[in-house]
Amino acid sequence: MSTQQEQPQEPESQEAPEDPEMRGTESPQQERLKEKEQGLAQEEAVDESDLEGETVHLKVFRYDPEVEGKQEPRFDDFYVPFEKGMTVLDAVMYARDEFDSSLTFRHSCRQAVCGSDAFFVNGKQQLGCKTQISELKQPVRIEPLPHQEVVKDLVVDMDHFYDQMHAVEPYFQQEELPDGDLEEQRQSRENREKVKMSTRCIWCAACMSSCNIAAGDNEYLGPAAINKAYRFAMDEREDEEIKEHRLRIVEQEHGVWRCQTQFSCTEVCPKDIPLTEHIQELKREAVKKNLKFW
Amino acid sequence: MAEQYSSFSRGGTGWLLQRITAAFLIVVLAFHFFQLHFVNHAADVTFAGTQARMENVGYFLTMVLFLIAGAFHGLNGVYNALVNQGLEGTQKKVVLAVLSLAGIALIAQGIWVAVAMAGWT
Amino acid sequence: MSQSYNRGLIEDFGRWKEFSAGMWAWIFHKFTGWMLIGYLFTHIAVLSTAIGAAAGDPAAIQQETDVYTTTIQGLESLFIIRVLEVGLLAVAVFHILNGLRLLMVDLGIGLSAQDKSFYASLVLTGIITIASVPTFMDGVTI
Repeated sequence: MSTQQEQPQEPESQEAPEDPEMRGTESPQQERLKEKEQGLAQEEAVDESDLEGETVHLKVFRYDPEVEGKQEPRFDDFYVPFEKGMTVLDAVMYARDEFDSSLTFRHSCRQAVCGSDAFFVNGKQQLGCKTQISELKQPVRIEPLPHQEVVKDLVVDMDHFYDQMHAVEPYFQQEELPDGDLEEQRQSRENREKVKMSTRCIWCAACMSSCNIAAGDNEYLGPAAINKAYRFAMDEREDEEIKEHRLRIVEQEHGVWRCQTQFSCTEVCPKDIPLTEHIQELKREAVKKNLKFW
Repeated sequence: MAEQYSSFSRGGTGWLLQRITAAFLIVVLAFHFFQLHFVNHAADVTFAGTQARMENVGYFLTMVLFLIAGAFHGLNGVYNALVNQGLEGTQKKVVLAVLSLAGIALIAQGIWVAVAMAGWT
Repeated sequence: MSQSYNRGLIEDFGRWKEFSAGMWAWIFHKFTGWMLIGYLFTHIAVLSTAIGAAAGDPAAIQQETDVYTTTIQGLESLFIIRVLEVGLLAVAVFHILNGLRLLMVDLGIGLSAQDKSFYASLVLTGIITIASVPTFMDGVTI
């Protein structure tokens, strides 16, 4: 914001769009904030004091191909002392540090940014670091993401997911640059608002794992990759031809048409990306483009 | 990833047609149920009664379109369901051929029936 | 990483309690769809008796003793057929209502209420079906 010296009056948030069309109704941003507040209010309703001083019962999926006797998948029980604000990741880390150092899982930033620690917790794909133990029924069943090969314990093979992500060319492609050496490729506020949610993807693969079409059809691009395609296809800074190229990628046989709008991906996305909405919009865009060609 | 691009992909056409037939079927199926269970009771159906309805060209055409839309929507739905389960290659082609033939046979038989009902044979 | 373990389809029906509204809607829509296309074939098969009736004696049609009329009325006099018809109505109504929901989803309308609209279509299906029972069961006994 510091570069926008011509608008010193502007508040530090993005909540007051200039466009009268957007000001007329509530902006998507405001709606989201409202939803978030409601969600927070509900979360607070969960009484944490019940669990104070208790232990948490974890049932963790274990599998190790390199140790004979551990090649048959099993569930291990861990009893971890509860602490206020404890997340699933905290709990498995405690189990690893205190009880069994061979317990393996990916984690890095611990704040829902790196996307490493998506697990199948109590039958739902969730980020370990973003899921409060106090909100879960016990015993907490922690498994690796379904529909992906298990490498060890909670670690799954992400190669296929990454392949699908790369298949949609997930990078900005605009050959023409604005005149002048120091000019930037600017995006309008409205356009930024439109793609904003789609930019939040952290490649955790929770959506792909929850999608039962992706489970059946291995070639399906999957929600995350389609969302990534949406992020660039809807970016106005890219030329029309590039957008068409992107639409051609997502409208192939194993692209958007495979989506059956079960909303599983949207429900599990830890970053609240409206994935189904984005996939549906791309379907309509593809149909519109094809009707134009007709 | 498939690299074959066409100006109108099969998937997109199928998807759109599935929706268009859906919208049509919703109206006509509701009408059909109402017509033959509430206005006329199914138990009281006679050939003469059917013929009286079918002789009306508008009704006849609606019913034939109803049949075609229903057959397409249903069989395309079945095909999609199977493809979503990961049907591929030769199997997929065979399923498509079988379903197409079944659809054509159903529509042909249905039109023959409709013509017979209308008494135009 | 010499080998890995394929857990197969995890979200099979053994975990049906964890399914979300959208998944149930999909399962029901598909299931009712299979039944409806199956019925369409049967329906045309039964109606095919009209070909025989049209080719037969016109007097039989007058007396309502032609093969078409007798087949349909014969079937309609069976209690089980009436029960199946109510079932068919329920299946068709659900498919229509959930189909409307899906069309809205395709148009991008009301996506945040997709679960509520699924429950609404279930409830409405129930109400319409129950309300139609007297009409469907009219004039038939076990």
